[in-house]
Amino acid sequence: MRDIKAIGKMAIIGILVIIIIIAGVAGYYLTLPKEAMLVMGTTDSVESCLDPAKAYDYFGWEIIQSLGCGLVEYKPGATGKVEDIVPSLATSWNSSADGKVWTFNLRQNVLYDDGTEFNATHVKYTFDRGIGIADDEGPFVGIGYSDIIENVTVVNKYVVKFYLKIPFAAFLSLMACQASYIVDPKYAPMQAVEYTAGNARASHPMGLGPYRLNSWTRVAGKDSEMQLEANPNYWNASGGYPKTKKIVIKFYADSTGLALAISAGEIDIAFRQLAAADINNLKTNANVKVWEGTGAFIQYLVLQLKRAPFNNTIVRQAIASAINRTKVVNTVYLGQAQKLYSLIPIGMFGHTDAFLTLGDPNYTRTLELLNQAGYSASNPLTFKLWYETSGHYPQSPQLAQVLEASLEACGAINIELDYLDWPAYRSARINETMDAYILGWYPDYIDPDDYIYPFLDSSGSSWIHHNYNSSEMDQLIAWARGNTSSTIRNNLYAEIQELMAIDCPIIPIYQGGAWAVTKTNIKGVYLDITQSWRHWLVYAEP
Amino acid sequence: MISRILLTIPMIFILLTMVFVIIRILPGDPVLLHFEKVENPEAIEAVRRNLGLDKPLWVQYFDYLSGLFIGDLGKSMQDYSSVGEQIFSAFPATLELAIFSMIIAVSIGIFLGVEASKSYNKPKDHAIRVFGIVTYAIPVFFLGIIFQMIFGVALHWLPVGGRIPNPTLAPRGLVLGDFRFSSGLYTVDSLLEGNVYKFVESCRHLFLPSLTLGLVLAGVFIRLTRSNMFETLRQDFVTAARARGLKETAVIYGYALRNAFLPVLTMIGLQFATLLGGAVLTETTFSWPGLGRYIVDRINFRDYTAIQGAIVVFGLFVSVVSLVVDLLYAYFDPRIRL
Repeated sequence: MRDIKAIGKMAIIGILVIIIIIAGVAGYYLTLPKEAMLVMGTTDSVESCLDPAKAYDYFGWEIIQSLGCGLVEYKPGATGKVEDIVPSLATSWNSSADGKVWTFNLRQNVLYDDGTEFNATHVKYTFDRGIGIADDEGPFVGIGYSDIIENVTVVNKYVVKFYLKIPFAAFLSLMACQASYIVDPKYAPMQAVEYTAGNARASHPMGLGPYRLNSWTRVAGKDSEMQLEANPNYWNASGGYPKTKKIVIKFYADSTGLALAISAGEIDIAFRQLAAADINNLKTNANVKVWEGTGAFIQYLVLQLKRAPFNNTIVRQAIASAINRTKVVNTVYLGQAQKLYSLIPIGMFGHTDAFLTLGDPNYTRTLELLNQAGYSASNPLTFKLWYETSGHYPQSPQLAQVLEASLEACGAINIELDYLDWPAYRSARINETMDAYILGWYPDYIDPDDYIYPFLDSSGSSWIHHNYNSSEMDQLIAWARGNTSSTIRNNLYAEIQELMAIDCPIIPIYQGGAWAVTKTNIKGVYLDITQSWRHWLVYAEP
Repeated sequence: MISRILLTIPMIFILLTMVFVIIRILPGDPVLLHFEKVENPEAIEAVRRNLGLDKPLWVQYFDYLSGLFIGDLGKSMQDYSSVGEQIFSAFPATLELAIFSMIIAVSIGIFLGVEASKSYNKPKDHAIRVFGIVTYAIPVFFLGIIFQMIFGVALHWLPVGGRIPNPTLAPRGLVLGDFRFSSGLYTVDSLLEGNVYKFVESCRHLFLPSLTLGLVLAGVFIRLTRSNMFETLRQDFVTAARARGLKETAVIYGYALRNAFLPVLTMIGLQFATLLGGAVLTETTFSWPGLGRYIVDRINFRDYTAIQGAIVVFGLFVSVVSLVVDLLYAYFDPRIRL
């Protein structure tokens, strides 16, 4: 009994102590200095590393872009035109008449974050290294730099020449992509990609960008926190950049967590990936601002051409005529996407609505075509439509269901939906076991070539495994890749898309939007077709 | 006692064998996931060799087992780094969440269970039983989101994710000259560092995920405590205690509960396994960087070694908890000898 009383007294004393501690901490909180910085939340993560010779993921490139510089860059608000490319480390450039030699005049007196002076040998080093390492998982092999660049030659300390194997029209765009960002040889060994965990500076080979990496915390191989701090040696520091001296990046497990964090005011910016429903909810929240921009992400339906039923062009055309994109955009993505009738996204030069001529949907045409191929309501075209379930693409199950309903609405198509998680989906694609499957694409460089060559060229599209092989298409693509005249390229891409809408190996479905949500005082957000998040332009208005 | 520890070995062995086989039956090749656009057969074979996946399955199995004997959990098939290091960087977060969740579950469960037993078949009893059933049945992620909406978004009292506010550095633990000790448990490490701010922030970040997981588990303890206490309160020794004039609180918590506690203790041991399963979802909901999230991420990459390693650690953890429960048996009931 005495024990019980003693416990009671102890409990009262304990509660009093807790109240005193809470009061003390509350007072301490009120006196804490507020640091000028922005906190950004994301569900992304660096997939491999921050070395342009290997990094080949969206977020890795976002950080590389903040820590480094390329010879050129896209100006904010770019639409992908060559006129949107502006000087960065190169102040001017020119190309030979045949488009195979490019000369860049470099900016002088530019320093890395550690004080080393940048010069033309670093440009040569960067490309020799990337092509030499030839990481099979990296962008130099993925994009095919060695198929484009013959060699890089240093003319003098501030002039560098690129000799190309082919006249490559998208070369400037390639130079603006983050894989072409210049590395500091001191942190980038010629033969290997090295990453020192726990040492922020030694974990990347950049150093010419507006920021330096102050800390990078990873738990179990996954990003936990990242801090960017203004690089005092940045070549444009005198211009007032970066506008925010410190950026903290916080990582969330899913879009719900990210949406809750911006709603709760825990973060200043939420960028990638927010679900369509979360964006719609946040639009009604007066404490935040929803920014909408041009997206460059596309999704499309791939058909397997090596066997029936899709080895028949007429059947493929019938499928293309029966896609109800309006339902996809409104039902699945709640109006936050655009109907896409070409692989080249809307807003990029060369885009045409080639597939619109097939119908949106046009079931009369679908039935005519299916009848020609021997299918009817009593003998429907039957196939499996595959989608992935790992969240690799946004709302894949819903997209597949709407596509199923859309195609079956013609009355002569019978679809069985099937799914796999991403690893199994990848294997099934490579093993060519799926007849119809949904894929998506983010661009490497901002040019129509990056939306055509990897999908329709018989060599460039080998990774997609649809077995489309057209010599006429290959010839058109080769001409479009090699021609430096915008007018001629525009015409060639129109022809390519027209041919694609006849052959229908791939059927474009929609183009995703670009969305960011910020507190209402955040300014300097540009969501253009480059998909770049320009940390150095973003700031909080007092 | 020794036999209890030795029993752990075949348990882990069976668990590991099952995971080893099941994950390899799943479609999907971890090697091909390294090659998004390029399928160079030589490079693919090189990666396969590097990861030891070119060997026959039984050789891979024995390679893994022999590595395990010397404490080597292998290297990740996603990023080639040490699985052991990755797991032990994530495990403290899960352990901290598990401990606090269990404390909340047991506290709420016992308190409400006792209260229900005192008011058997009265409205208070019915209300507590309904509460127990609802918390037991409610999906953990749903409850988590509800709490985030209330305490994070509406009231701004508690954070909705993470372990510590950014850009605060993780507590460094005890540092005495060259001697450093860090448990990885932020609440403990912040106290060892002597940093009150980090301690309070760690607790604030820990509260919602622990409460979510704790409440879901509390339902079992409510029902178990209620039924056991109901039986115990009708025993002669309880009547005798009351007859001696002891206060009701003393009778219930000092006499009856101690006798009714053994089945609850058993359940604590069993529920730890459920708790780790719940941690997978809770960690995702609260962006908690623990082992649960690690497993989910790695399943999506068919990272065989990482999944095997994490399952082994989970298995060991449950075994250790069972052992501790057995030791506590002897304390609560001296008739039991280990």
